[in-house]
Amino acid sequence: MATAERILTEPVPQEIEKKPWRFDVFAHLPWLKGLVRMRSFQFLVILPNLFLFYLFLIAGFFGTPIGNRNIIIVFVWILWWFVLIAVMMPFGSRLWCTMCPLPFFGDWLQRRSVVGVRSGKSPGTLNKFFGLQKRWPKRLSNIWLQNFGFLFLATFSALLVTRPLVSAIVFGVLILLAAGMALVYRLRTFCNYICPISGFLSLYAMTSTVELRSADKEVCLKCTTKSCIRGSDKGWACPWNVYMGKLDRNNYCGLCFECVKSCPNDNISLYLRPFSTSDVALRGYDEVWKACIMLMLAFSYSIVLLGPWGWLKDWANISEKHNWGGFGMFAAGQALLALVIFPALFYLSIRLGKWYARADDVSTKELFLKYAYMLVPMGLLAWIAFSVPLIMVNGSYIVSVASDPLGWGMNLLGTAEFPWKPLWPQWVPFAQVPILLAGLYFGLRGLHKVGSQLFKDPTQLFRSMIPPAVLLLGVTVLFLKLFIG
Amino acid sequence: MKWKETAGVLAVLIVLLGLPMMLKYWRTVGMIHRYPPNTKVIRLTAVADGGLWTQDEIVGYNYWWRKPTRAGEIALNQGDHVVVQLHSADVLHSFAIPLLHIGPVEVPAGHTVEVAFDANRPGDLTFLCWQVCSPEHSKLQGDFIVKSNGSEDSW
Ligand code: SF4
Ligand code: SF4
Ligand code: SF4
Ligand SMILES: [Cu+2]
Repeated sequence: MATAERILTEPVPQEIEKKPWRFDVFAHLPWLKGLVRMRSFQFLVILPNLFLFYLFLIAGFFGTPIGNRNIIIVFVWILWWFVLIAVMMPFGSRLWCTMCPLPFFGDWLQRRSVVGVRSGKSPGTLNKFFGLQKRWPKRLSNIWLQNFGFLFLATFSALLVTRPLVSAIVFGVLILLAAGMALVYRLRTFCNYICPISGFLSLYAMTSTVELRSADKEVCLKCTTKSCIRGSDKGWACPWNVYMGKLDRNNYCGLCFECVKSCPNDNISLYLRPFSTSDVALRGYDEVWKACIMLMLAFSYSIVLLGPWGWLKDWANISEKHNWGGFGMFAAGQALLALVIFPALFYLSIRLGKWYARADDVSTKELFLKYAYMLVPMGLLAWIAFSVPLIMVNGSYIVSVASDPLGWGMNLLGTAEFPWKPLWPQWVPFAQVPILLAGLYFGLRGLHKVGSQLFKDPTQLFRSMIPPAVLLLGVTVLFLKLFIG
Repeated sequence: MKWKETAGVLAVLIVLLGLPMMLKYWRTVGMIHRYPPNTKVIRLTAVADGGLWTQDEIVGYNYWWRKPTRAGEIALNQGDHVVVQLHSADVLHSFAIPLLHIGPVEVPAGHTVEVAFDANRPGDLTFLCWQVCSPEHSKLQGDFIVKSNGSEDSW
């Protein structure tokens, strides 16, 4: 109760009021701003990826069935995944969405243009869109579908990351779905509510060292056109339905830069900021569960891949072992861990912290939502730690597959028979441990940051933090055990 | 502004049509032209499940429900210069033509291995997998039948 008011009305402690460091990129690199303002900018960055993903699809259907010799497996699940999770997410927010080809055909159908913008009138916007322009059901306006979709795909990851055809079908279906939904619903409904990649992009974009924001919220308050969300003759209405005047988190901004083009007050800029510092508020159970699912998936993959349990490997590996009973157990166990057990442990830690801190005026729900932020940097860095050996061990496949993308016997670069050679395998744990510890550090720091917004009394703050901090520490120790062996 | 839109659409169409055409061209024409003229290129894929060599393509889309045809006998004409492109759809196989002292060469899954020979005498040339690759390994064999043009004795 009354907590929200308290936060709004009571003076915030100095330390928080002090704005975190921000560096205005557009002000310092005007050419970059000019670049993203070009109408053709997004098209030009999507086009190469459209080419690549099209090649991936063709390779999935008509290339070799052997995963590590097929470009769709090697480029998507070794190269792209690593770049996405270890580079784009932490340092570029949803930069992938800027160049993602999946919704390209949907956008094209909806806009009937690939470069230009058309003013006019469509529900809620000042652009002319085509299609039925229906409103997405309110009940589904959250990331639950993405949570389940991602968990589902992750369960079948043994197939997805080894069978070219399976990957090709999944990406093909996503492209068709995005196109179909664009015809029926407004804007990028697919991206907002369905795309299984979107869920973790939105979550981990919070930690990113860049943000696109309105420079001056006062200007937005007085702005009459609200072109960023409504569109204009310079830019399409925000495909993600984001209003820049209120935007304070990276989660649901797909970095399409339409608003930079459309804002008549030149009020939007790209900023650099410290890692995992600014967006620290999870705003719903869907987001909390996303954080739990992601962390637990990294955990469960590590157990399967690095743990000593052969039977578990066989259960999970439906791609080769075809033990459907065992696989069912594995799938159910993984889902239980991600959806029930871990969230329950987290809830328990929150209750315990609340009780220990005698925090009667803060609701459990609020604590639960707020403190869940600690899982965000932890999850991202656990995923990076998990992915580092994948690229170090399998990176050499990238070289050979680039030369013979379909396994047909081409040799475009002369490296088709480049031997498989793990890159410094003995250094893997030395890379993983610091990354994981950084996750723990940023998790605890995040915990402290959100905690100090709720509690002014240091003892209370400290006590409320202890149980969740212990949980986080426990998770870290388990990860370390798996990584170091 | 209009030309940019047109150029954009054109670029997309070039990608969508050009890429498959390029690949198709490479597969049907480009690949053959890597070899001297009149080379007979034979693609052989080893399949562990069922134990057979096939001239069918085993690729992503048909891998799961493939019923490849066994390449039991492959007809050649005396004088053919033959390049055999060897593939494996699953596990590590190997390839040999004992009569010609060709191989055994390893054929790892997903790789393309080439073997060349001249069919300059008529007769049967047995080819087979040379290492125990799978339960049905022993079935992995076939014959090149070289038809005589009357100029020389058989092997
Ligand atoms: S949300 Fe998904 S489909 Fe949409 S742009 Fe991002 S990655 Fe692509
Ligand atoms: S159009 Fe510009 S000034 Fe107006 S609300 Fe959007 S960002 Fe603010
Ligand atoms: S706020 Fe909307 S229009 Fe602006 S970059 Fe983000 S997604 Fe695009
Ligand atoms: Cu064999």
